[in-house]
Amino acid sequence: MSQATVTITLPRRGTALGIMQRYGVYIAIAALLIYNLIFTPNFFELDNFRTQFVQVVPVMIVALGMALVIGTEGIDLSVGAVMALAAAVIPLYIGYGLIPAAILAIVVGAVVGVINGSMVAFIGVQPIVATLSLMVAGRGIALLIANEQLRSVTDPGVLSLGRGSLFEGEAFRIPYAVIVAAVLVVIVALLVNRTTFGKQLIAIGGSRRAAELAGLPVKRILLLTYVLCAALAAIAGIIGTARLGASVPSTLGNLIELSAITAVVVGGTPLTGGQVKVGGTVAGALLLQFITATLVKHDVPDAYSQITQAVIILLAVYIQRGRAAVR
Amino acid sequence: MNTNRKVQSVTGAVAIFAALGLALTGCTNTGTSGSGSTGGSTDTAQTAQAASGPTCDLATYGGEKLDLKNAVVGFSQSEKEDNPFRIAETQSIKDEAAKIGVKKLITTNAQSTLSKQISDIQDMISQGAQALIVAPLNSDGLEPALSAAKAKKIPVITIDRKLSSGACDTYVSFLGSNFVEQGKRAADQLIKGTSGKGNIAILLGSSGNGVTTDRTKGFVDEIAAKGPDLKIVAQQTGDFARDKGQSVTEQLLQSNPDISVIYAENDEMGLGAQAAIIAAGKTPGKDIQIYSIDGTKNAVEQIVAGAYNGVIESNPRFGPLAFKTLQSFESGDKVGQDIIIEDSEYDPSNAKDKVDSAF
Repeated sequence: MSQATVTITLPRRGTALGIMQRYGVYIAIAALLIYNLIFTPNFFELDNFRTQFVQVVPVMIVALGMALVIGTEGIDLSVGAVMALAAAVIPLYIGYGLIPAAILAIVVGAVVGVINGSMVAFIGVQPIVATLSLMVAGRGIALLIANEQLRSVTDPGVLSLGRGSLFEGEAFRIPYAVIVAAVLVVIVALLVNRTTFGKQLIAIGGSRRAAELAGLPVKRILLLTYVLCAALAAIAGIIGTARLGASVPSTLGNLIELSAITAVVVGGTPLTGGQVKVGGTVAGALLLQFITATLVKHDVPDAYSQITQAVIILLAVYIQRGRAAVR
Repeated sequence: MNTNRKVQSVTGAVAIFAALGLALTGCTNTGTSGSGSTGGSTDTAQTAQAASGPTCDLATYGGEKLDLKNAVVGFSQSEKEDNPFRIAETQSIKDEAAKIGVKKLITTNAQSTLSKQISDIQDMISQGAQALIVAPLNSDGLEPALSAAKAKKIPVITIDRKLSSGACDTYVSFLGSNFVEQGKRAADQLIKGTSGKGNIAILLGSSGNGVTTDRTKGFVDEIAAKGPDLKIVAQQTGDFARDKGQSVTEQLLQSNPDISVIYAENDEMGLGAQAAIIAAGKTPGKDIQIYSIDGTKNAVEQIVAGAYNGVIESNPRFGPLAFKTLQSFESGDKVGQDIIIEDSEYDPSNAKDKVDSAF
């Protein structure tokens, strides 16, 4: 492959196509916002944006962990089940208060991550197979823990995490759930871009063999990545439970793994690993949220709404396809 | 290098497409009810509406008389017991079997998988079941199991979901609610509660589910006929789930502040809508009314608390009526092919007295 060929397929940074490829997901969000500005009543109100940001929180947090795992050329299908497990654990320990119950929920989630990570790193099970088994078993265990019942959670700490805000009563109040998500975004971004762990994770995704030859602690990093992903999913489960004011292990996080994978990929992280786009992942999750919001607010029937979602997402992915191809 | 990368990105695209397909078709089946707490041993057994229409008896179906006390009866549950409706349904069958003292009751759960339900039924036949009660997962697809039963002249009573194949041929009778009627009664409750005025948002059940279609049809037709000043301003799916009901209601209330009443096709979505109304700074039950179908304890308690307006029951307690039908059939009497059960209803005037009969 000569260098000349590469240069021809590489769109210049300044060209329209180049910009589209680089910022596809952001352009799609901007286009949707402009559409809503014109056609959707009451869209450009602080309250509405608060609703969108609150609703996107669970998918966004799960997608952050998913981006890390996908960066290692892996996948984690068990995130929804981990959310269900976290939801099932909360009512058991809420008597001790929000913080102890939340810590226990995260620990239970992390245990799933240890199992996933061990299967992938030490036994060599393919990520999709390893995490698929926990996707099924995890929800089953969650239902067992909850005795197959829904439980209302009325602890004031939990309710305030789900429904309360900083600067309560002010026009620019910020929901606590959104603050938690923002902090996690910053932490994951720093982890990926500023730490040795982040660089090693990406190196493994680029080529596991090369990483092993270079003497990187490949197994340990893989294990840690799956633990982080599961812990993030558990946090999403806690926030989901707080928002509902009820622990619903039978439905919480159902199919969220697919939304999270879509958010990651639309955001420009290739499934082939070796890259993690934290900003893109956040934008990808927001794009999915704005698409849903737009369709619901315009009362589009479910069947059309599903098709429209698929078309918009495929367009965003198609626009970015060229970029993935040249890197 | 370049080609290699392209191939990888194509593989990636295919994978996303597959993921999307799955995500968008939503391959879950939550049944007619979402989750909720159970409890309430106070049984309100079903009663059948006045029977009319075609009947079935032993002579037509084939088989010999049998006393259920000396019989092995099999029960095939369709869906996972992770929602109050299924839990109450199975419990009711078990309780009634114990009450009349059948020799043995075999119970199976198909875990929402059609092939498992077929093998469950076949297994129960080979274990010597002499009569079967089946909650079908689907209106089609059980033929292999049903023909195995028919071959051995084992009577099959189906409950809650109707089969599309012939009654008194592939099975004896169907026992269930009239879901169109449930939608119609919810509309009647709503018209009464709102004095016939307001803007309605409908939270639909899962798309492509017969229960959703029927509960929508009954409701929409009744509103069109009897509520000229009621306007349906939105119909969005909440997938029978509380969280989806909550987030969809949040979106709708934001863009359409004129919404004054919610009709949810199950209690779980109604409870989600209630949380969304509170989050929007309004009072559920007063500023925005809520009506739903199911009759779970969680929803009926909210009526008692004044934060919910009406619930039409979908009675899951099939046990007494199923065994009664089976026993009269086995003694040679005629039984109805379609036995539609009476569903009760809850509103602010009776919720306090009847809350213990909610499931």
